Amino acid sequence: MTTSDPTKLKMTKEIGLPSIAFCVARVPNSGRLIFGSSDFKLHEIDVLAEKPQPVAFNGEGHQSYVTGVVLCTPNIAVSGSYDGKLIWWDIEKREPIRTVSAHELWIRRLAVSPDGKTIASVADDMQCKLWNAETGELLRQFSDHKPITPHDFPSMLFAVTFSPDGKFVATGDKIGHVAIWETNSGTKVATVDAPTLYTWDPRQRRHSIGGIRSLAFSPDSKLLAVGGTGQIGNIDHLEASARTEIFDWQAGQRVKEIVNEKFKGLVEHHVFDPAGQWLVSSGGDNGGFVAFHNVETGKTLHQDKAPMHVHQFALNEAYDTLFAVGHHKIAVFEFKPETPKPAEATPAPAAS
Amino acid sequence: MTPGSFFCGSADHGVSRRGFLSAAALGTAGTFAADMTQLDVWRHSAWAEDVKKKDKRVILLWLAGGASQFETWDPKPGRPTGGPFRAIQTASSGVQISELMPKMAARMQTTAIVRSLNTKNGDHGGGSSLMETGRRKDPGIEYPDLGALCAKELGRIDSAVPDYVSLYSSTEGRRKGTSGFLGARYAPMFLSENMVPENVRRLETISDIDHQDRAALRDLLAKRFAQNRTSDVIGSHSNAYQRVRGLMASEKLFDITQETEAMRAKYGPTQFGQQCLIARRLVEAGVPFVKVARAWWDSHGQNFETHRELCADLDHSMSALLDDLKERGLLEHTLVLTFGEFGRTPQINPSLGRDHFAAAWSASLSGCGMHGGACYGKTEPDGHTVAEGEASAGDLFATILAALGIDPLKEYTLGARPIPLSDFGSKPIKEVLA
Amino acid sequence: MRKTVRLSWTSLWLFSTCFAWLTSLSLAADLPPTDAPIEQVIDQFVNARLMTEKITPAPQADDHNLLRRLSLDLAGRIPTTAEAQAFAASTSPTKRVELVDRLLASPDFPLHQRNELDQLLLAHKPNDGEFRKYLLWATQQNRPWDAMFRDMLVGIETDENQKGALTFVKSRARELDDLTNDTASLFFGVNVSCAKCHDHPLATDWKQDHFYGMTAFFSRTYLTKKNLLAEKQVGEVKFSTKKDGQKQAAFLFLTGATISEPTVERTKEQLKEFDEVVKKQTQDDNASPPEKPGFSPREKLVEVALRAEDNRFFARNCVNRIWAQFFSRGIVDPVDQMHSANAPSHPELLDWLTRDLVAHGYDMKRLIRGIVLSQTYSRSSEWTAGELPSAALYAVAKVKPLTPRQYALSLFIAAINPTQWLAADQPDKWTQRREQLENEANGWANMFEVPGEGFQVAVDEALLFTNNKRIEDEFLRDSGDRLVGYLKTLSDDSAMIDAAFWSVNSRSPRDDERAALKEYLQKHAADRVVALRQIVWALLASPELRVSY
Repeated sequence: MTTSDPTKLKMTKEIGLPSIAFCVARVPNSGRLIFGSSDFKLHEIDVLAEKPQPVAFNGEGHQSYVTGVVLCTPNIAVSGSYDGKLIWWDIEKREPIRTVSAHELWIRRLAVSPDGKTIASVADDMQCKLWNAETGELLRQFSDHKPITPHDFPSMLFAVTFSPDGKFVATGDKIGHVAIWETNSGTKVATVDAPTLYTWDPRQRRHSIGGIRSLAFSPDSKLLAVGGTGQIGNIDHLEASARTEIFDWQAGQRVKEIVNEKFKGLVEHHVFDPAGQWLVSSGGDNGGFVAFHNVETGKTLHQDKAPMHVHQFALNEAYDTLFAVGHHKIAVFEFKPETPKPAEATPAPAAS
Repeated sequence: MTPGSFFCGSADHGVSRRGFLSAAALGTAGTFAADMTQLDVWRHSAWAEDVKKKDKRVILLWLAGGASQFETWDPKPGRPTGGPFRAIQTASSGVQISELMPKMAARMQTTAIVRSLNTKNGDHGGGSSLMETGRRKDPGIEYPDLGALCAKELGRIDSAVPDYVSLYSSTEGRRKGTSGFLGARYAPMFLSENMVPENVRRLETISDIDHQDRAALRDLLAKRFAQNRTSDVIGSHSNAYQRVRGLMASEKLFDITQETEAMRAKYGPTQFGQQCLIARRLVEAGVPFVKVARAWWDSHGQNFETHRELCADLDHSMSALLDDLKERGLLEHTLVLTFGEFGRTPQINPSLGRDHFAAAWSASLSGCGMHGGACYGKTEPDGHTVAEGEASAGDLFATILAALGIDPLKEYTLGARPIPLSDFGSKPIKEVLA
Repeated sequence: MRKTVRLSWTSLWLFSTCFAWLTSLSLAADLPPTDAPIEQVIDQFVNARLMTEKITPAPQADDHNLLRRLSLDLAGRIPTTAEAQAFAASTSPTKRVELVDRLLASPDFPLHQRNELDQLLLAHKPNDGEFRKYLLWATQQNRPWDAMFRDMLVGIETDENQKGALTFVKSRARELDDLTNDTASLFFGVNVSCAKCHDHPLATDWKQDHFYGMTAFFSRTYLTKKNLLAEKQVGEVKFSTKKDGQKQAAFLFLTGATISEPTVERTKEQLKEFDEVVKKQTQDDNASPPEKPGFSPREKLVEVALRAEDNRFFARNCVNRIWAQFFSRGIVDPVDQMHSANAPSHPELLDWLTRDLVAHGYDMKRLIRGIVLSQTYSRSSEWTAGELPSAALYAVAKVKPLTPRQYALSLFIAAINPTQWLAADQPDKWTQRREQLENEANGWANMFEVPGEGFQVAVDEALLFTNNKRIEDEFLRDSGDRLVGYLKTLSDDSAMIDAAFWSVNSRSPRDDERAALKEYLQKHAADRVVALRQIVWALLASPELRVSY
């Protein structure tokens, strides 16, 4: 059990950034965050320092937005970018170790297996690729995602995640299609669809918006949360309610539909708490939010606005502190019970 | 009461009158011309020019809602405002465009870019009106849009095909276009719901013979009525009915199933691609101006995803169109344009969108009269302002007219008031002209 | 709040020239007497000029032509067969006067005049229900033009009848340029936007002050969140001049008359409070109705424009625009170009009519009656004597395109079974029937272009008539309520052709027309109903029904 209390959610720190931060990984048991951003760079920042200052990583680096970062060992980070490359970094030296041309098109997200040995990358070439975290070797690749939408436009593969037991990988695309794969074999074991997350406007604007932006397995790996936004009227704006659908993916059934009544925009990231009682989601439109939902009922336990559109967050080991990165800002939220107890040592890694 | 006429001076010299009279004289053969001896259009020097220019055509790919210059013709990779996409080298040395436009990059020799538009109006309505007519609104004067100008300058008065066709199938930002003071003769044939024009197909309830016979009877009654009456209105009425059969015959121009499978495949499956194919069929048949509106680029949220979709559509359709025109020998006579009401902001908003921006944006001009591969003007490194070669909407229009062999300084006369074809003070951008 | 207005300097010469012409104008002492009938005075001046120019005008239009023209001009529609045949049959020596008086008193007249005024005053915002309601009320009362002007500029929001009138200002309240320009053009005959391209040397007496002075009257006007019209307590128009740098515009009318605003010292707090009020009014749905300011520039504009010493712009414009409604051109033409470089075709006539209009309390109906009773009005539109004389001489009637509403109504009237009018044409029943027709015609009116300068019939219209199913269903069906349905009951070709012509063209066919139709019937004898339908189509789609001639 964790010590957290979502109803006590409050923002404790807000740090301005010159760029947009798209992804974050946290060094265990610390306030050190590694984040990738719109300046094509990876940065480190210690948000628990008195005056946190981001420090950029060195070396050649990426040639476009850095949209995925994971830690595979406490001192090795891997980043992915719209430039199609994966870069391994020594985070102590902040130097690149290895660069791999991984995808034909833009890498949208990375995920790391719970044991830190496998990295998954998804990109707009609609491929999911698994990599040996230590050697950078391509282990396998698979796809169940059509490169062209039913409306004849290029599709996008936005989301990827591992199950907590590491056995499965889930991938989610623009049109709301999710495939679940066996990590070790690359065998497709199930698919579910959340078409509501994709809005095609055939009449007024004749293009589309939305897509699956976040995927998260429950601690027992049985449930899969799929996040994005609902059907949008005017697709010039992210004006639909933030939306999560929870699937019993093995049964192929949608079991919950969580429509955020207060906040609009995309759910960019999801995490279940280790007990599987709540699901935290974050994202936004021109503003941002952090929301906790009861997994059993689908009801919102508590939520508040974030000072920016959140692209990704990391949680601490106690699941009572959330480090969010997003539009020109980093924000730290705490949701600790009134009487603080000694922090339980929940094993790393924090879900991220 | 009569609605205000806003032109000063004598109506006898009015352009619309002159315009119509040529209509009447040419459109209705002998009967009317005899009544209009004072209106010898053949003596009008502009008409002789018109005959020479009659093989020039324009296809305007109107990027409605405002496409981003960063994600098309003026990429700023690596800048805070540049977005995630790379710039790629084009077939024109030294010119790079967004990686979202790879097919156009390979065809840059056909195309000139103007990167330095500062049109100062970031409002959809105002911006559209400005970029449709090449000038700011003037209270009391209805200016014709580019399509109407070209229909008048490049078309034949008795044309059997429509001379200004406007396709706008999305509903957002839909504007019909206007022939303004040039009058309804130059109004667009506007296709919005179906890609076949309205009312060009004979009803099944009437046989073709009856359809022709009753038209002949109508003509007879019309001529009888027109005897001894000199009237622009009657003349234009007659001209309109004279053109009916020709326009009905042009229905097939809108039918792309008349093309081979292979040709249709080249243009691709999107509606915009299909409309580009219709546009090619129309210009091939002699239609001087076709506007194909591609809506809706107004990417306040998710600019990059929006442009990934729409640029793919534009890049493919435009490339197919240019290739096809070239293969048919039409490209040297056909000017293909892309622009909309404005561009998009350098700033990327929290929804990863870009907002309206008219201070520094781009247009492209391909084919007829253009110096392909040319790139004119510069924006500052982050794209906030024009750094070199600032061009107005009027300058762009002057350039378009010059490329078509039309003198931008030529004037229409409204009453005593001269109105140059492109706005006062505007100049063609010589650097992009052949 | 201060509003700076940007307008090109070239717009300004006009004011100076107007100013010079209109101030030097004096009403000639030798004008015809005040009690002369309007129609006589019109003919006197028009004929005098024709004599001078040695031009013999076209003969008077025949009865059917005159009836058709009067019906279109006063009732907004062609006559019914019953009306046409009754007029043709009448032997009364005063039948024209009787007809004019009947039409002016009919429910048709206010409906039509409402449509005309709506098109004139709110062309950019068609079919505004509130405004049309107001106009109908006003035309039904024959409300004087000065009162209507007052209603439209400073009407009372709480007055059931006047509140719609304010749409004139409301629909332009967000565009100061349009509000200024349209008011000046529509009520004073002065277009402020023209002149951009005239290379006239600027008159020495022109003053930028005149132009911005006009703008000043409207610069405080704004719309509240609840769409109520309001005026700010303070606010000035500033403009820059080459000579004096930045200047503040006075409330200066076109005649040169100035209105001075009482000087009130305001504290900073007060000014801030005024800003707050405007902010609340423009943003808050629950703001209480705006208070009237102590000094209302719009009210002052109405006051100065209508007072005896300054009303010449207003009164002349009214005469000139009504004249143009009937003759397709103004005595000053274009109608919004009243200035010294654009002299009236008949200056004394304009002066006399203006004096008469003011003397009779801006009674528009009276002026209209005079115009349509003149010989000048009732000339034929056919000209056989060689080169067409200048339109400014009124030697021959001008062919006018019908407005969309006139055309739509006329199509309905032409296509209805003509025997059905006999029962319906009773004053009490007609009001209802006419309103019903007006509503039926509304949908069709949207399909036609509104005539303007150099109007041309669009090819879309020809295609619509030729191939649209609605035309066939609405106007060519052979049911008993339609003309085709009636014609098929007539077995005699001549009678049938007569009936068709009277219905559509309000006249008998000429011999050659009758022969052509007979030939058509013979050639298409296989299916008579089909042939009748084509004949009616050919008549409906002919220019004769499309225009007033």
